[in-house]
Amino acid sequence: MSGRLLGAMLAHWRQSRTLTVLTVLGVALGVGSVVCIQLINQGALAAFAGGMRAVSGEADLVVLGHGPDLDETIYREVLAHPDVRAAWPLVRAWAKVAGREDEFVDIVGVDVFAPVDYPVDVGGSDAALGGLADMLTDPGWIALTPEFAGELDLAVGDTFTVAVSDRLLTLSVGALVDFRRRAPLASRKLALMDIAQAQHLLDRGGHVDQIDVRIRRDRDLATAQRRLQDTLGPGVRVLSPEQRQESAAGLLAAFRLNLTALSLISVMVGVFLIFSAVHASLVRRRRQFGLLRSLGAERGQVLRVILLEAALLGVAGTLVGLPIGYGAAMLNVDTVSSTLTSIYLLDEIEQLRFPPLLVVVAVAVGLGGALLGALLPALDISRRDPVALLGAAGLPERIGRMAPGLALLGLGILLAVGIWYSAGGHELRTAGFVLAFFLMVSLPLMTPLVLRAVCSRIPPRGFGWRLGWRGLATRLQSTSFAVAALAVTVSMLVGITLLIGSFRATLDTWIARSLTADIYVTGASWQRDLGRTALSDTVRTRLAAHDAVEYVDLQRRREGRTDSGRPVRLIAIAREGRTDEHWSARTPLLAGDLDRLAGRLDDGAVVISEPLARGLDLAVGDSLRLATPDGPRARPIAGIAYDYASEHGVAYMAVPTLESMIGPVGVAAMALTLEPGRDPERVIDALRSELAGHALELRSNRRLRAEVVDIFDQTFAITRILQFMALVIAVCGVSLTLLIMARERATELALYRALGATRRQVFGLGLGEGTGLGALGLALGLGGGAALAAILILVINRDWFGWTIRFALPAGALLAQAVWIMGGAVLAAVYPALRASRTPASELTREDLL
Amino acid sequence: MADCLLEFQDVHREFATPAGPSRPVLLGVDFAVERGASLAMVGRSGSGKSTLLHLAAGIDLPSRGEVRLAGRSLASLDDPVRSRLRRDHVGLVFQFFHLLPHLTVRDNVSLPGWIAGDPHAEVRARAEDLLAAVELGDRGDDLAGRLSGGQMQRVAICRALQRRPGLVLADEPTGNLDETVGARVMDLLVGLCADEGVGLLYVTHSREQASRADRVLRLRDGRLAAAEAPA
Repeated sequence: MSGRLLGAMLAHWRQSRTLTVLTVLGVALGVGSVVCIQLINQGALAAFAGGMRAVSGEADLVVLGHGPDLDETIYREVLAHPDVRAAWPLVRAWAKVAGREDEFVDIVGVDVFAPVDYPVDVGGSDAALGGLADMLTDPGWIALTPEFAGELDLAVGDTFTVAVSDRLLTLSVGALVDFRRRAPLASRKLALMDIAQAQHLLDRGGHVDQIDVRIRRDRDLATAQRRLQDTLGPGVRVLSPEQRQESAAGLLAAFRLNLTALSLISVMVGVFLIFSAVHASLVRRRRQFGLLRSLGAERGQVLRVILLEAALLGVAGTLVGLPIGYGAAMLNVDTVSSTLTSIYLLDEIEQLRFPPLLVVVAVAVGLGGALLGALLPALDISRRDPVALLGAAGLPERIGRMAPGLALLGLGILLAVGIWYSAGGHELRTAGFVLAFFLMVSLPLMTPLVLRAVCSRIPPRGFGWRLGWRGLATRLQSTSFAVAALAVTVSMLVGITLLIGSFRATLDTWIARSLTADIYVTGASWQRDLGRTALSDTVRTRLAAHDAVEYVDLQRRREGRTDSGRPVRLIAIAREGRTDEHWSARTPLLAGDLDRLAGRLDDGAVVISEPLARGLDLAVGDSLRLATPDGPRARPIAGIAYDYASEHGVAYMAVPTLESMIGPVGVAAMALTLEPGRDPERVIDALRSELAGHALELRSNRRLRAEVVDIFDQTFAITRILQFMALVIAVCGVSLTLLIMARERATELALYRALGATRRQVFGLGLGEGTGLGALGLALGLGGGAALAAILILVINRDWFGWTIRFALPAGALLAQAVWIMGGAVLAAVYPALRASRTPASELTREDLL
Repeated sequence: MADCLLEFQDVHREFATPAGPSRPVLLGVDFAVERGASLAMVGRSGSGKSTLLHLAAGIDLPSRGEVRLAGRSLASLDDPVRSRLRRDHVGLVFQFFHLLPHLTVRDNVSLPGWIAGDPHAEVRARAEDLLAAVELGDRGDDLAGRLSGGQMQRVAICRALQRRPGLVLADEPTGNLDETVGARVMDLLVGLCADEGVGLLYVTHSREQASRADRVLRLRDGRLAAAEAPA
């Protein structure tokens, strides 16, 4: 019976096209937000996994160092292990393609006799590595993927130039290698080269990046892994492919979780919209349900029909939401890729795949959201007495009576969560998300009371916006959901804007204190080479000796790990030149004695960054335990520095301290402080011409600051689309509510017309109502946003990233957002106001008014 | 005819039906209402009384013939002008009161003044005067929903007179009230209109109520029957 009833009931949605479209769009955008973020999250991990499968697909285990590379002597130890059937070393390096902006090639140096079947194509036919004599003999021989060769307009036999650190190398395309035949998500930028050539060209003699291992068939993999690790000692890591993926996932955990949480806010706003739409449609059709009930339909049947209707809306929203999510992900994939490569040092996302499981997730979100939104109104209608449903009078607005109770419940929730947090909840890493979730739950609960308290106190004093605003208090069942949805969205917008603005202001202060040199010099591939390569001695000497330079800070860096496995960037600085000031003299310290810092650093202590200190719960006086090729090494912590360069952590130390742990490390970057009165831009021009032939990046202080800020902005770019999507849903909610109000108040509007109001006046009244909804949502959202910002800055940021962020008020950005929100609300009101203005005076009926 | 506020000349009104020919409701209606005069319109349900009032107020337009309000032919005016003409010259009283429940009694009375953009103090003073005249001077701050049926209709009468219209159109103003209350409301309506020199056209089923008018017209099958003298 429910099926037949459903068919009859669906006619309502077909007739109410605008209502249906807005409802479906609300679900679609909620689904789209989740799909977009999950596609990007999965894309990031899939890119890493794809690269791993393409290069090391045949390996059971991989031996890695704690830093970016390994001493190649370990290879012999691996081969000699009784559980190892085969092993082959790899050298990896990113080289910058000369003449191309931010175009890198990911060189994989491989042993031609490795038992790996790379899909190499020479002259149109597949070839085995072992048969490629040219690979060994031709200087600079490299195999590119067909896609990348095409992009660079290269064919087999052509040559091209790349930069590794400050050196320019000429490479020759000897073959094409289609890594995507091994792993469809592999990067098109992977390139194959003989390992010996790679070591030579990349100046990596004696080092490899990883050793891929195949275990004997008769051995248990886990046991073999443990035995190999025991044999090789704590100076290396022996990982399975799954563990490597988990490690990459761990790097991105905070980034992914934050984006997922943001996308769920859109779903929450969408649920409000569904609630509003379903409630309005049920109230309009109450007599139909009354008739059904009086003809013998059971409550359960009515409930099922209503929920089925909602489910169909949910499915329709999901179907529309899937392409929206995919499109949004496509639009954002480049900026997220930049974040992945510049901040997390992972592979960029080149392709987005739609895993079947994501469709299931999207359906669950769309369907679940729709059913959740419809549940309360459905229960309400199904439980009503048939007489009440058939009655001439409209159903009483329960929410008005419930408003004080709901507000108390909201306050109670906030209080309870606050007590829980203080009493021990703060020890949970997810506590911040719990706080934010309940804040977003309590805000809508307080909305009806606030709405009524504000609107019912507005004296009408004329036929204008005041009258419209006052009317909002009389339709709380509709208006409070629109305002609540908008308030939640505005909270998110304002909270994130305050976070970004505060973070940006903090970063500006930190940059001003930290970046004090005039010119910064790195090799062209510095951005991605993990500190593996170094500036050549010629460059170093000539820069330091330049007559404009007062002194230079020489920076050596390596990506390393603590003995607990946390990634940490190791940076050693030495100062040379005409100054007595110690390089650490201006370190912005959170804890530690700046006066004694220089001496302690020279004695082997380290300064660690705030995220590292918070992440490992370390304080001045504790020791930082670092994993080194010779096993764990502990260094006393002399200071904790404000640092915003790395999410995972940085440890600053003197050069001898670094080299005592990991051996000689070349200078990766130089900071030049010029003699007073020298113009950095002119000095850069002079240095460029003096050092022509070297692939150098010379940045003035101003340009480097701008680049840091660009990377910062890029990191938050993805949040903007989520904010936008949530705002569109909320604006749909405003439009939907006003449409519902225009229908429900047809008699009232007809009365205005009968009393002589022109269409323009009624239109103005509708716009006033839209403005009222917008302004109230904005006001509530500002309060919620400030609270959310406090949670984001003081709890979530501290627990997940560990940075100190000082509150700042980005007034311009907030004002711009307020204008957008109000503009959106007014725009959303235009169509409903037009509809309202067309209400003829002859619509006066018995209902609604007194 | 200088004081003629409303004039119907051979007015026809027919409505389209979903299937088949259109349904005629008014068939060549002629009458006029002068300033200060009262006219009762009686007739059975469905005889076209409400349609006639809608045409008189400019809410609806005739299919044929001419309706003139304050000397202007309504069919020749666009909607905004008709709206302004209505708010300047016509007060409306409905059977079901049509008060806005979320507004106070005084605000309900003030509504036509607000719509016209009259000065606030003037509108308020007029509302106070009218409410005092219908003995509701102490209820101005109450929400309209708290009044009894008779009180509501008295408020509706005040609202109709707020802008000192030349003509009040009332659609069964006592139809939703009991006999005693209805009589009291009718006294007030007729009395106030007479005091203010306002023309009154009202529709009623009640011979008793009709008898209070200067003239009575009977609408039967879309045509006006010969005028009856008040009893």
